Order: sequence, then C-alpha cells, then structure tokens
Amino acid sequence: MKSVPDLKRQPLILLLLGLVSSLPLFFILVYGADISHGLIGAMISTISFIGLTAAIQDVAYDRFLKMREMMVAMPVHPLSYALGVALAPLILATPGLIFFGAISLWIGALTLPSLFWASAVLVLCWATMSSIGFLISTYLQKAPPYVLGNIANVLGLLLSFIPPVYYPEEMLGTFSWISTVFPTSNAVSLIRVYTGSLNLPFETIVMRWAVLIIAAVFFAALTAVKARWRES
Amino acid sequence: MIKAVETNEIIKVYRGKQEIQALKGVNLSIDNGALFTLLGQNGAGKTTFLRIISTQLLPTKGEAFVLGLNIDTQEEEIRQRITVVPQDVATYGNFTPWEYCYYFTLLRGLSKHEAEEASKKALKSLGLWDQRNRTCATLSGGERKRAVISSALASDAEVLMLDEPTSGLDALARRKVWSILRGLVKRGKTILLTTHIMEEAEMVSDKVAVMHKGMIIAEGTPEQIKHLSKDRFRVAIEGSLNDLGVNEDDSNTVKLGNKFLIYHKDEDEALELVAKALKRGMRAEIAPVTLEDAFVKLVGGDGN
Repeated sequence: MKSVPDLKRQPLILLLLGLVSSLPLFFILVYGADISHGLIGAMISTISFIGLTAAIQDVAYDRFLKMREMMVAMPVHPLSYALGVALAPLILATPGLIFFGAISLWIGALTLPSLFWASAVLVLCWATMSSIGFLISTYLQKAPPYVLGNIANVLGLLLSFIPPVYYPEEMLGTFSWISTVFPTSNAVSLIRVYTGSLNLPFETIVMRWAVLIIAAVFFAALTAVKARWRES
Repeated sequence: MIKAVETNEIIKVYRGKQEIQALKGVNLSIDNGALFTLLGQNGAGKTTFLRIISTQLLPTKGEAFVLGLNIDTQEEEIRQRITVVPQDVATYGNFTPWEYCYYFTLLRGLSKHEAEEASKKALKSLGLWDQRNRTCATLSGGERKRAVISSALASDAEVLMLDEPTSGLDALARRKVWSILRGLVKRGKTILLTTHIMEEAEMVSDKVAVMHKGMIIAEGTPEQIKHLSKDRFRVAIEGSLNDLGVNEDDSNTVKLGNKFLIYHKDEDEALELVAKALKRGMRAEIAPVTLEDAFVKLVGGDGN
C-alpha cells in the first residue's frame, strides 16, 4: 500500500537505493579489483539494508503518525502488516536488484543455474534482516523515530561493510569463519559457492545453509513471541 | 439489549519510572445509535479509555464489551465493526485523500467497486473531492485531518470512535464534521467522541460523560449535566462589583480579567443584577449556563 504512492511520487528513491549500493562498486572498479564480488555484495547489502531499515523506520514512523493505532483497530492481521512493511521497500529495491543481477549474469558473475540458489539466499537474508529490524522496533518502542532511524542506518552500514560482504572472506585468512556469524556475509559466501568463485567442503556448505535458515527462523520466532500488536 | 459499549471498573496503570493511574475504575454504558461524548480536560484519561475499548491497549483490570464482544478475547471481531481516528493523527505526505479512503477501505475487505463508491461519497461529504488527487504534503492541516476522517467515514463501520476529531479544524470545517456525524447517527451508527471543546459536546451529543482524573464524575444529556451545577443563569459584567453590592470573592462569582461571571439559580435575581449594572453604565449580559460552566463547577474551577 505504501510503496505505490512512494514509487509514483518519489521515483528518485530508486536511484538513491541503487547509488548507495553501487558506491563500493565504484571503488572496486577504480582500484581494478574483481567486480563480480562487488555485484553480489551490492545485491546482498541492498536487500539487507532495506529489510532492516524498513522494519525499524517504517514501524517507528507509523507509530509517530498514529497510523499504526488506526491499523491496530482495523481488521488487519499483524502478520499482514509486518509483511506489508517488509515487502513495500522490496518493491522499490527490485529494479536495483534486477539491474545488479542482470550485470552479474552478463559478466558471468552469476550463472542461470546459480540464479535459483542466489534468489533463495537473498530471500532468507531479507527475512532475517527484516526480523532483526522488527525485534529492534519491538524492544525500542519508546525511542523517538529519529533515534531508531539512526540505529537502523548505522546497523545496516555496519552489517554491509564490516563483515566480508564487499570483499572476499579469504582476505580474513584463519578468521574467515567470521563470515558465517553475520547473515549478510554468510549469504554472500553461499552465493559465491554456487557461482564457483568460492570452494567450500560440502559439510561447510550445509552448515552455512543451516545457520542462515536457523537465523531467519529464530529472529522471526523471537519477534512473533515478543512483538505486541496491542499495547499492554 | 446489547449496548454499543459497556465497561465495568476499567482500571489502567502505566508502569514506568513513575506509576501513573490513568483510569481509576470507569463504568460506562453507551446505547446503539447514539452520539456519546466523553468530555474532559487534557490528561483526564479520555484517550486511554478510547484506546482500550478500540482494542489498541489492554486494561490493567476490569472488563469491557463493544457490541457485546469482549475486548480481551474477541478483539478481531470488534475490529471488523469499528473504526478509529486517533488524536493528532498525521498523514503520509505522499498519500492523497483519495488513496487514504480507497486503500483503507480495501484493507477493511471491501471490494474495489465498493471502496471506490464509499471513498467518493466520503470525500464529497467532507468537501475534499476537488483535492482528492493532491498529496497530503500540499494540503493544509485541516484538509489533512479531514482526509483521515474521510477514510473512517468511508469504512461504514457500526461504531466510530473519534478522538478529538475537530481539533485543528476551522469553524466551518468543524460544523461540517458535526453535521456529518449527526447524519451518521440518523443512519443508525454509534459514535463515541472525545473532546475538550465544550461547544462541540453541547451541539452534537445525545449524551455526555464528564471525565476527570481517570473517573467519570457525571453522565447524562447536555441539559442534565448543566442542571448538575444547580445554577441556571450566568450574568457577565465588566467593571467593579462593589458598586452593585456583590461580593467579588463569593463562590458563585468568577473573575476573568476585567470581567466577572456571577451565577444565579433564580432568573429574576439575575435580571435584577443586569438591570442594576446597566443603570450604572456597566456592560452586562445574561445567558443560560452553558455546559462549560457546569463542567468548570464539576471539576472544581481551578482544575482540582
């Protein structure tokens, strides 16, 4: 409901989302590094950033506008509301994702067979980050919207640039296992496995899938338990 | 007969750094097809009460029923049949009044055609048809408020709960909203209104409940509430009362700047005072007591 008017009246938002995610690509191109890694990183950082920030900022904004109060008193299921909040920015981000995906296919960073696995990983990453966002907005209900906005942006940037999202995990040497801990870098590594640019033992691949799936389920379940549609 | 709203000893305590008891045992009964106003000062507990019965907030103790449905256990059924406009609701800047009405009615489960018809009717009734495609960011504050109210009107819910709906509206817009609300009541809708605007309560309400410090202190029609003050007339005089033989510190006398309001039970006494004042060249007028006068007396004049 909210993304359609935003798309109609603020089309520049598409450009902004694309530019933010493309910024590291610029540096990669300038310094002559392999762009394929950067393209996968751009897709993951786009999806995780919007998943996290939407769940925090949109919920806070709705509370501030009292729109959430109106919706609580309407026949709107809380799950429906949460999905709507999470999906709306995804619609805005889709052109950017398609753009990065298309270039990745064109330069061979992604292959058609790997597209299915990459999509599954992207969905799980988005679900995890959205759930983390909803959890934060649940626990910080009393915080003003601008504080929550800052938390969302800082957390999004940290999870996109600190762990190996835009750079290969091999650069961390013996500490490359750190990429499993963060949903963003874990997702990048899994996509790279299916594009053939990262070789991992089968057990490690299974373990990484398990971590990604468990993280998505865990944060979603925790949010379902802790979040309150009606205030107590 | 099932009431629109029925509450039994509703208590609400906000726990935080300080414990605040916002509601101290509210018992209220609202008939179907009535416009019921909850009147009170800021901080009296009106919004808390409205949020509880509209299933946005859980009470600490007590029970409440909306259309015979329990707010604790049957909240989803209640939400199908009510609509709420919160106090100081703001708007998404990118939304137009049309989108507010249309999308909110779709969310309520109406078909596209029904949503279009309902939205058209609601926007026209509130004078927003010409502005229907302008974004809320370009509308005035009053127009934005009316856009949200129109989304509530378009819902066709059985019970409308409006928290200070006309605050921020000019006199013309306010009267338009009152007229629409009375029209809805004629069609059998039930409206629960909260306000601190006495004129609003007096003009539109079938029944009024006065809320003060989390409790209902009076309930009845506007006329019944006015009679609770025992005084029937109010004389307004500009100038010193000493010349008229009236004690300025009397409990029936209120000073407002250079004007005095003197309350009388007896019409003849009030008229005599006015005549005396006019003879001395003072400005004086007589009027029946208003709901505001009764309210001020009920809550203790200085709010204590």
